[in-house]
Amino acid sequence: MSFTKEQMLDMYSELARSRVLGEKIVEFIKSGKISGSIHPCLGQEAVTSGIISAAKISGLNIYHTGTHRGQTLMAYKVGFSPFIGEVLGRTSGANAGVSGEYHLTDIEHGLIPATGALGGTWGILDGVAWAIKQQGRTDDTVVLAPYGDGAVSEGATFEALNIAALLKLPILFFIENNGVAMSTPVSKQYPLENLSERAKAFGMQGVTVDGNDVVAVTQAVLDGLKLAQQCIPNIVEVKTWRWEGHFVGDNQAQYRDTSFLQHLDDIDPVLIHEKKLKELGYADDAYMAKVREEMTKEIVDAFDYNLTQGFPVRETVLDYNRLYSNDAGGEI
Amino acid sequence: MSQQILLRAHNIAVAEEMAKDDKVIVIGEDVGPKGGIWTTFMGLYPKYGENRVIEMPMAEAGYSMFAAGAAMMGYRPVVEIMFADFATLSFEAIVDVCAKFRYNSMGKHSLPITFILPQGVGAGSGAHHSQSVESWFANVPGLKIVAPTGAADVRLFLRASIRDDDPVLFIWHRGLMISREDIPDTLADDEIPSLKNAGKIVKEGNDLTVVAYQRSLVVAQMAAAEVEAETGKTIEIIDPRVLIPFDKEKMFASLRKTGRLLVAHDAPERGGFGAQIVTWAVEELGTELKANPVSVCGKNTVIPFNKLEDYVVPNKEEMKAGMKKALGL
Repeated sequence: MSFTKEQMLDMYSELARSRVLGEKIVEFIKSGKISGSIHPCLGQEAVTSGIISAAKISGLNIYHTGTHRGQTLMAYKVGFSPFIGEVLGRTSGANAGVSGEYHLTDIEHGLIPATGALGGTWGILDGVAWAIKQQGRTDDTVVLAPYGDGAVSEGATFEALNIAALLKLPILFFIENNGVAMSTPVSKQYPLENLSERAKAFGMQGVTVDGNDVVAVTQAVLDGLKLAQQCIPNIVEVKTWRWEGHFVGDNQAQYRDTSFLQHLDDIDPVLIHEKKLKELGYADDAYMAKVREEMTKEIVDAFDYNLTQGFPVRETVLDYNRLYSNDAGGEI
Repeated sequence: MSQQILLRAHNIAVAEEMAKDDKVIVIGEDVGPKGGIWTTFMGLYPKYGENRVIEMPMAEAGYSMFAAGAAMMGYRPVVEIMFADFATLSFEAIVDVCAKFRYNSMGKHSLPITFILPQGVGAGSGAHHSQSVESWFANVPGLKIVAPTGAADVRLFLRASIRDDDPVLFIWHRGLMISREDIPDTLADDEIPSLKNAGKIVKEGNDLTVVAYQRSLVVAQMAAAEVEAETGKTIEIIDPRVLIPFDKEKMFASLRKTGRLLVAHDAPERGGFGAQIVTWAVEELGTELKANPVSVCGKNTVIPFNKLEDYVVPNKEEMKAGMKKALGL
């Protein structure tokens, strides 16, 4: 399908939001305002933007987890300001600053927490997909299971694919392949051209598309979600580039040829889409500058607001009724 | 009232809860027409079909995670891990997903899930099928651990575990699987116990408090009868039935009477749950205790094949010696 001008422009807004958010997160980590090891999404904006665009265009309720670099996707689920609040560890955060970005949990909005080592997460989403199918909700609800190219080496991944295929679950397995798993190149992670080839082993369909092209990602996700709605589990792999180290401060020159950083124009998802919008006559430089400015304001405002909020207190952290149901009434 | 073996008590409990609540689902290996290797789910697949009794491929990690996901969506899964030892493969699901879900949702969402873990020696099955695993999990906040001994308590506490809104590890002992007890034909809702304050005084006495569960409890009961006959002392025996939350008050009250403590379990002593029980007792009672507590636990070694397993778990003579030591005799 071809996308309308409005949809194409909205994809740009998502790309711009993701870019600015990535830049701000890096800036705030460097200035010590964000703790933990948040993994920046710079260079991979078409991935989350494509998923969000597909969610909007399809109108589907999508249950999913975050990924290492899925900040915008999580923010889309829980709201931008509550997401930033959680990143900053403030009480204004979506989980009151206690769980942190990484373990964000918001079932009402369909955000399922990922596991720390990541590889077990697809299994959780299988269970969520089973429940949706069981409840007869696939006309408007499906599951999207996002992983990176590293997590798919974990053994539980294969169990989850097998179970999804056996039970015919409404789930799209989405692989964000950025070419490097932590410091290890994908050539040492799997012996295949494309990870989507693994679909065959489970009797599934799998496709690989350009993960720097938000239009291609959006289309692939829409197609995959449609299959998922028919209880045909499938794999979509998108190939992109990770610009930063695994985490902020990771010296990637130790393990990776970083000369690509001098030639980003060909792989920059924001620039690629800008070029397309101009060719189509949908937008000019002034329009796009304005969008970036708006996104910057939204993000700076969210950071500014949340920085004025307090940190969780000891009583919140040690509230055993938060840990156990049935009125635990204290440590047990 | 009818006499039932312990295995049948599981089957009765799951059937009762499935009939009461259509959110209760069964997940595991061999749970379909066979009804589970331990017959826990016998008759349930024909009755409820594949949407409530989900027969899984051999993928403990995968289906434990699956169960967690289903529980997040409002179901109440009962997951059988064929041998408790195989929970090594479910560890991430239990420890990192189930135990932490409620806390990370700000206490908004519970995760009602029951893992049934058959543990222990008794069949000579060797190193990977005979371990007692409760203390692997006791160090994980967010879990509850239930460890009943006889058939009647298995029925009661399995029902209580399935009803509980938190992740529960329901651990039963394979060495006792054909032990028999009277079980009431029906149970009213208000007869299903809470997991709180679940300790039970199995036998009253005045000179020594024994806290023991499962196979070690059975051994302790035999040993206590002989020690009482030999010494004229009387021994109080407490079955905690639930390890987390532990019924400390019942133990403290007994210790205030006896002033002496022996703890016993099949799991290795080092880092075992008994050490925690002793810590609680010493911290609470202090100098009210008349003697140092004694533990009679499994040896800190691998469980060998066949009958050799008898060398590594407490036997009656070791239990008697421990009791006499605790009594200062």
